[in-house]
Amino acid sequence: MPKIMHNPDVLWRRETEVTDPVSDDETVAGILFSGGSMLSLNEFALEIWQICDGKTLEELVVSLMPEFDIDEETLRLDIREFLDSLSQKGFIRYE
Amino acid sequence: MSNIQLKAPLTINWAINNNCNFACSHCYSREDTHDDLSRDVLLACLEKVAKAGVFSINFGGGEPLLRSDLLEISAFSSSLGLKVSMNSNGWFIDENMAVSLKKAGFTKVGISIDSHIPEVHDKFRGVPGSHARALAALMHLKAAGINTSISTVICRINSETIDELVAMALAAGVSQLNFHNFKCSGLGMSNKDELDLTPDEWKVFYKDAIAAKHSVKDLDISLDDPIIALLDARDAGTLVKGSVCGKLSLNIKANGDMTPCGFIPIVIGNIVSDDLQQVWKDSDILDRMRNKQPTGKCSGCSKYEDCLGGCTARALALTGDMNNPDPHCWGSETKGE
Repeated sequence: MPKIMHNPDVLWRRETEVTDPVSDDETVAGILFSGGSMLSLNEFALEIWQICDGKTLEELVVSLMPEFDIDEETLRLDIREFLDSLSQKGFIRYE
Repeated sequence: MSNIQLKAPLTINWAINNNCNFACSHCYSREDTHDDLSRDVLLACLEKVAKAGVFSINFGGGEPLLRSDLLEISAFSSSLGLKVSMNSNGWFIDENMAVSLKKAGFTKVGISIDSHIPEVHDKFRGVPGSHARALAALMHLKAAGINTSISTVICRINSETIDELVAMALAAGVSQLNFHNFKCSGLGMSNKDELDLTPDEWKVFYKDAIAAKHSVKDLDISLDDPIIALLDARDAGTLVKGSVCGKLSLNIKANGDMTPCGFIPIVIGNIVSDDLQQVWKDSDILDRMRNKQPTGKCSGCSKYEDCLGGCTARALALTGDMNNPDPHCWGSETKGE
């Protein structure tokens, strides 16, 4: 299974403080920026971004599963959907 | 994306000095007589900026290479994790300087060139030989491994020479050609009758420039004017509606004064004494720019949602109200185009 690799040109930052109350899905927790493209991330997406470099999709699923009260397949689909959006914008690549 | 309030700018355009060896007809800072920040104060301010979360700094001036400590300033910025770029007239960039700029962390340098015709550029910039030196600078920068661009302020001397400017950019091997809209600030205001285009002329220019953007390969033709929304031509990747000033970027002047952009002379704080994030969050002026209200013909315009009244700096300079329609707009009251 291919590993996910950050594009080293991507700049990112947290927009909220880690000590802030847990945000809802709509709150922008962080942003990614590269070459004129920007992506805003909610807390879930930001966590994936922070841990995905060098991991496979399955490793991400195993890593995140304990944190969410959803079935594994739903989590896998959610992560894959986010990774697809990152890949389309060139923020990650697979190797 | 348009409604996100970021905690800090992504980019700061920082005019680190006012002095310049050129005498350009459209200069926005020639009349600025404030003192520049000292090296030590400037470095401390850069630390504040990096700590606030800013990604990149684009140094300008004046001519930034007239600051003898520019390389040290850049290296320090780079060491803080800031991505460093610069706009220059290119006069001082020879082979050795290009290598030094690379070592000092510059990832991109934009050179201002106003015409493909050397005599026209030299006359406009007030310095004989400046066109040749600008092209030579691009060559040295590229050889040193620095990404390059050409910046051209569109006005009466060049608006009908898109093909020639593109050919020049391709020959120079730059990655980007920036067509900047003409601002009525500083000498740009004094000389606007001679240099600025009419709204209908802007429409023709942008139609041609957009056609070139779509047809030319190996060159990113950048159009930063929000009113191209009238031609349905804003990139899908455009990060915000309307102008980026005060939403993604902020300007800092040579004395540390913060303004929404380099062409809006409203000081909203000073980087030496104020907290950047606080100013970014609480400034009434930035709030007004982020929440513009349509007036006049903008009120009934179907393109307003994308264009947000066009360039705020131009509306403010020429009408006194940032909510007024951009005077460059050729649109009718109801249909945009």
